[in-house]
Amino acid sequence: MERCRGGADGYVMRSAPPLSLYVHVPWCVRKCPYCDFNSHQVPTGEIPEDRYVAALLGDLDHDLPFVGDRELQSVFIGGGTPSLFHPSVFAHLLNSIAGRLPCARDMEVTLEANPGTIEHGRFAAYREAGITRVSLGVQSFDAGHLKRLGRIHSPDDVFRAVTELKQAGIHNFNLDLMYALPEQTLAQAESDVRTAIDLQPRHLSHYQLTLEPGTVFHHRPPQGMPDPDAAWEMQESCQDLFARSGFTQYEVSAYASQEHRCRHNLNYWKFGDYIGIGAGAHGKLTDFGSRRVLRTTRHKQPRTYLEAASAVGRLQEIREVEEADLPFEFMLNALRLREGFDLAAFEATTGIPEEVIERPLDVARARGLIEVTGGGRWRPSDLGWRFLNDLQALFLASKP
Amino acid sequence: MQNIRNFSIIAHVDHGKSTLADRFIQLCGGLEAREMESQVLDSMALERERGITIKAQSVTLDYTGRDGVLYQLNMIDTPGHVDFSYEVSRSLAACEGALLVVDAAQGVEAQSVANCYTALEQGLEVVPVLNKIDLPSAEPDKVIKQIEEIIGIEASDAVRCSAKTGEGVPDLLEELVRRIPPPKGNPEAPLQALIIDSWFDNYVGVVSLVRVMNGSLKVGQKIRVWTTGRAHQIDKLGRFTPKSRPSETLLTGEVGFVIAGIKEIDGAPVGDTITLDNRPCEAPLEGFKQIQPRVFAGMFPVSTDDYEAFRDALSKLKLNDSALHYEPEVSTALGFGFRCGFLGLLHMDIVQERLEREYNLELITSAPTVVYEVAKTDGTTIYVDNPSKLPPSNEIEDLREPIIIASILVPPEYIGNVLKLCTDKRGRQKKMQYLGNQVSLQYELPMADVVLDFFDRLKSCSRGYASFDYEFSHFESAPLVKLDVLINGDRVDALSIIIHHDHAYSRGRELVDKMQELIPRQMFDVAIQAAIGSNVVARSSVKALRKNVLAKCYGGDISRKRKLLEKQKEGKKRMKQVGSVEIPQEAFLAVLKIGKD
Repeated sequence: MERCRGGADGYVMRSAPPLSLYVHVPWCVRKCPYCDFNSHQVPTGEIPEDRYVAALLGDLDHDLPFVGDRELQSVFIGGGTPSLFHPSVFAHLLNSIAGRLPCARDMEVTLEANPGTIEHGRFAAYREAGITRVSLGVQSFDAGHLKRLGRIHSPDDVFRAVTELKQAGIHNFNLDLMYALPEQTLAQAESDVRTAIDLQPRHLSHYQLTLEPGTVFHHRPPQGMPDPDAAWEMQESCQDLFARSGFTQYEVSAYASQEHRCRHNLNYWKFGDYIGIGAGAHGKLTDFGSRRVLRTTRHKQPRTYLEAASAVGRLQEIREVEEADLPFEFMLNALRLREGFDLAAFEATTGIPEEVIERPLDVARARGLIEVTGGGRWRPSDLGWRFLNDLQALFLASKP
Repeated sequence: MQNIRNFSIIAHVDHGKSTLADRFIQLCGGLEAREMESQVLDSMALERERGITIKAQSVTLDYTGRDGVLYQLNMIDTPGHVDFSYEVSRSLAACEGALLVVDAAQGVEAQSVANCYTALEQGLEVVPVLNKIDLPSAEPDKVIKQIEEIIGIEASDAVRCSAKTGEGVPDLLEELVRRIPPPKGNPEAPLQALIIDSWFDNYVGVVSLVRVMNGSLKVGQKIRVWTTGRAHQIDKLGRFTPKSRPSETLLTGEVGFVIAGIKEIDGAPVGDTITLDNRPCEAPLEGFKQIQPRVFAGMFPVSTDDYEAFRDALSKLKLNDSALHYEPEVSTALGFGFRCGFLGLLHMDIVQERLEREYNLELITSAPTVVYEVAKTDGTTIYVDNPSKLPPSNEIEDLREPIIIASILVPPEYIGNVLKLCTDKRGRQKKMQYLGNQVSLQYELPMADVVLDFFDRLKSCSRGYASFDYEFSHFESAPLVKLDVLINGDRVDALSIIIHHDHAYSRGRELVDKMQELIPRQMFDVAIQAAIGSNVVARSSVKALRKNVLAKCYGGDISRKRKLLEKQKEGKKRMKQVGSVEIPQEAFLAVLKIGKD
C-alpha cells in the first residue's frame, strides 16, 4: 500500500520538479474486501509477466518526452501484489528503465510484497534484481483480524518474511499496519504496533481502516467497526508508542527517522513529478515549456491495458490541471507533511505566485489551523493536523 | 353577455376538482386529446407535485348548450387548502356562481363549508355537485342530507357525476348554464376591470388576469391602474383556453388577461381596478379585504451575496401573493434577511420552495411564530412577530396570545381522538353538534399551537376524515415566556421561541436534545443551553470531533479525495456560523419538531 518518492530537499530552482516512477502491478491472489486500489484476481493459467513488462516499457517510452534532463530519483513497484512476479522479470524491467532514463546514483527502488507470497530465497533475488527497499503488507499480527480483512497470510508468514528480508540484507523495509479494525480493542491495536516495532523496520505506515466506495466493506460494512472516538484513542496511543521508539510521524500515516523517510512518497507530498505506468496507474508531469501540470491515467483493466499497450494510445486519459485547482492539489499533498512547505516550493512546483494563496493562509492562521516556523515554513498546527480536511478545503477553488 | 357564465369550483382537497376541470376542458374542446396533460390547471410544477392548487387560474371555454346556444364559460380555479382561503375569496369575486363539489363517498368537509359560506356571502349562486358516484362506497343520498344539514342549501336535485369516468358531466354543464346567472354590468359605462391575479413575465412584464365589470377593453387603449394612477397602453388582450388566445377586446362580464407593458413589479396589484385613462370610472371596485398574515418567520440567504436577488424574488412573489408580507430583518446569527409573514405553515413551505426552485436561492428559515400582543408597563400596546423583539419582562404588563375559533367536522367514531387533541392543545369547546354522520365541533384554540402541527395531527388521529377551518378570534393573556437557546454561551436570536410557561421546561429539554442531534461534531465542544432569562432550564453538549483527516493519500487518484473535501465544504455552506460553531439549516427548524407527543 505504501507508495514512494525521491529528490533532494527544496525546489529552489524554477525548473521542473524532481522525477519519480511508479509501476503498477494489478494482480492479487485474492482481492481484499477493504482494498480500493486497482487490483484484480490472478487469472486462471498464468500471469503474463513477460508480456506485461514489455507493455510497461512501451508505456514508459511514451512519457519520456516529459523527462527532460531529470534524473529518476525513485522507483516504486506497487500493486496489487508485485511480489507475485518473478525476480528476473524485475531485473529486466529495471535494467531497461536504466537504459532509457538517467537514474540517480542512490535511487530508491521499493517493491511491495505480500508476506503470504514469499518463498525462501526470494528477497535475495529481488535485491539482486535491483530492489533496494521493501514494503510489506502486514496489516495486523492478529490471526483473527487478518482473516476478517481477507488477507491470505498468517502472523507467522510475516515473521518468516522479515527474517528472509534481513537474511537477504534488505534492512530498509517498511511494514504497513492498519488500525480501527472490526472488533479491534485498544490493547490489540497497541500490541500490533509493539510487535511491528520489535521487528526493527526502518519505516512504519499506520493507516486507519476506512470504508472506501467500490469495496466490499463499503457495500456491506463489517460489524463492530470502532467508533470515531475509539479510533482516535488507538491513533493517539499508537502515536505515543511510535514516538518512544524513535519513529517520528513525518506524515499523517507514515513514521520513520529523518534518514529513512520514504523518498518516493515524499516526492508525491512535495508535489514532485512522477511517471505512472501499468494498468490503472496515475502520473503527474509538468510540461516545462508551458508550465502546465498534467495528470495521466492508464486503462484499469489488465486485459485492456495489455491490448492497448501494443497500439498507439495506451494512455486512457491525459488531463491538464486547471490553474485554479493547483493550490488545492498542492496543499492536499504538502499539508500531509508535518514539516509543511515553504512558499518558494509552492511557486516552484505550481508556477503560481504565492499571493494567490495569501487569503486562505490568513484564514487558516486566524483559525489556528496553520503556523509559520522560524525558518519561514508553513505547517499544520496541532489542530490543523487533526483537522486536515478542514485546512485543505480552504484552498479549494471557489465554484462560480 | 347573456351567454357568459363565470364560475368557480369549490371543493375539498382530493374531492376531484382538478379532474372535473380537465373533463370540462375536454368536453368543450379546449385542448386536443393529445394535449391533455392530466390536471391542466395546476400549472406550477409545485402544485402538480403536491396535488394542490395554490394560485388562481382561469380557463375560457366555448360550450354549445342543448338549446343550441353558444355559451362562454369562464372557469376560475380556487385553491383548496385551509391556508389559502384568502385566495378563494379573490377568485369568487370574479364569479356569479360556484359549483360545490362534494365527494359522494367522503361527504362534506370543513373547508368546503367555509368556502361555500364565502361564496354565499358574496352573493353567488351555489350549485351542489356529487362527484365520484362511480365509487362503490358512494352514498349520494346521505351526502345530500349532509349538505342540507351542514351547509343549509337545497341539494335534493344535485347533479350526480363522476369526473373520472365522465358520467353525468354533460348534465352538469347544462345545470351550470341553467342555474348560474349571466354577469350584470353596463357595457356603456366607464371601464372597471378587477385584477384577479397578476404575475411577472420576464419578457412582457406584468400579466394580469382581470374580470371586466363595466365597459370594455380594447388593444391599443390607454388604461389606468387605480392605485398607482399610472397609465399604460394595452399591448395584448386574450383568454386562456387553457392555451393563451389573443383577442382584440375583452367585453363586459368577460375574464381574460391584459398585458400593458407594465415593468414595475408592483404596477398592477391584485384586487386593484383598471379603468380607461381618458374616461376613468368614478370610484374603484371594492377589491379584496387585506389579509393579515398569521405566521412569521425570518428568511435568510445562505450566501450573503444573494441578498439583493432575494429581495427581488420576494417582490415578484408578492405581486400575486398579496398574503405574503416581508420586511428587512437583521439577525446576529443569520445576517441580513427578511421577516416574512404567511397565512400558515403550508404557505410558508410553498413560498420557501418557490424561492428556492424558481429563483435558485438557498435560504435558511428561522422558527415560525405567531403574533403576540404586548401591553407594556408604559401603557402602550405593541405587536410582536419576532421572539427576539419581545421587550424585557420588566417592561411587560401583559402578554397575550392570539386565539382562533376552529370549526371541525369529523365522523363520530373519531370524536374521542379529536377532543383529546383539542384539549392537549389548550382548547376550549364552544359547540358540539351531531349532524347525520358527522359531528360539528367548535373550539377556541391558541393559534400558536394550531399553526405548528395541529392540521397534521388532526388528520392522523382521524385517519384523514376530520376536516378543519379556522379564523382569528381575539388576543388573550396567557402565562407565556421567551425561551432562548445559547450556543457556547451566545444567545442565538433566530432560535428564540415564545412558549406557554407550563411547556417551557419539557420543550427546552426536547429542543436542546434535538439540537444536539442536528449539530454535527466540530473541532470544539459545543455547549447547548435552553434558558428563560438567565435561568438555564436544559443543557446538553456536542463533543468535539477528534479528527477529520483522510487516512491515505498518494499521488494516485486525487480526484476522489477532492470530491470528498468538496462535498464536506458544500455541506458547510448550508450551515451558519454562530461564533465559531457551524449550525446546519435544519437546526433552525428544530423547534418545529418538538412537542409532538
